[in-house]
Amino acid sequence: MDAARVDAVLSALADPHRRRVVELLGRRPHRAGELAQALGLTPPAMSRHLRALRQAGLTEETHPDFDARVRVYQLRPEPMAYLKDWLEETERLWIQQLSAFKAHIERD
Amino acid sequence: MPSRVFVALRVKATPLRAFTVFTEEISVWWRPNALFNFTPRSPGLMAFEEDERGRRLVEQLPGGKVFEVGRVSVWEPGARLAFGWRQATFSPDQWTEVEVTFQAVGEETRVSVTHTGWDSVPGEHVAKHGFPEMLFMRRHGEWWQTLLSAMETRL
Repeated sequence: MDAARVDAVLSALADPHRRRVVELLGRRPHRAGELAQALGLTPPAMSRHLRALRQAGLTEETHPDFDARVRVYQLRPEPMAYLKDWLEETERLWIQQLSAFKAHIERD
Repeated sequence: MPSRVFVALRVKATPLRAFTVFTEEISVWWRPNALFNFTPRSPGLMAFEEDERGRRLVEQLPGGKVFEVGRVSVWEPGARLAFGWRQATFSPDQWTEVEVTFQAVGEETRVSVTHTGWDSVPGEHVAKHGFPEMLFMRRHGEWWQTLLSAMETRL
């Protein structure tokens, strides 16, 4: 697991607008226009947030078959899996540390 | 999907001794973990130390530099310990908190670690210790909740 990648994801999600986008996309894919409307943002502001999410690897862009000009955004599953891994790794870290602590304190 | 990490085990010692060894001998028992390096220069030696602002957990790096992992917010010998946990790669709005409790169970002590990795810290705790990072934690709590519910729908 790549810790820098996790940091990038967490950093992208530190913004409330972007968290809202993730929440909306968690339900279904949306067009950029729908997202801008739901969040009450201007198209340029919306595209800045979408870029940040895309760069963090959280979302991906697709086009519907009938129209290449329309952009549809959806969540990528992998970053969520990274975060789940991160929690599991944190648990593993503390099991390791507490076991080392136990061995140390019971040694003498 | 847990929003916090919780690990506990029993050690053959009194709560006070467990607390003392945990804090004073952390440089001896702590195991460096490549995934959780605090800085690119890690591993160094872990230590709880006192300065003019109170106590803190630091890593003394091989080159002589000292990296502050976090300030100690709770220091109750034989009972409870809490400290912040930051790695050098964290952005300014990333913050985690570790709480360690020591409970007598017969002749032994149950040592429990709760790492509110990316979770919120209870409000009264924040108010009690006057953390300036309170806002960050609030924000974290919010987005972690969102994140977890988004994850649940996908897992």
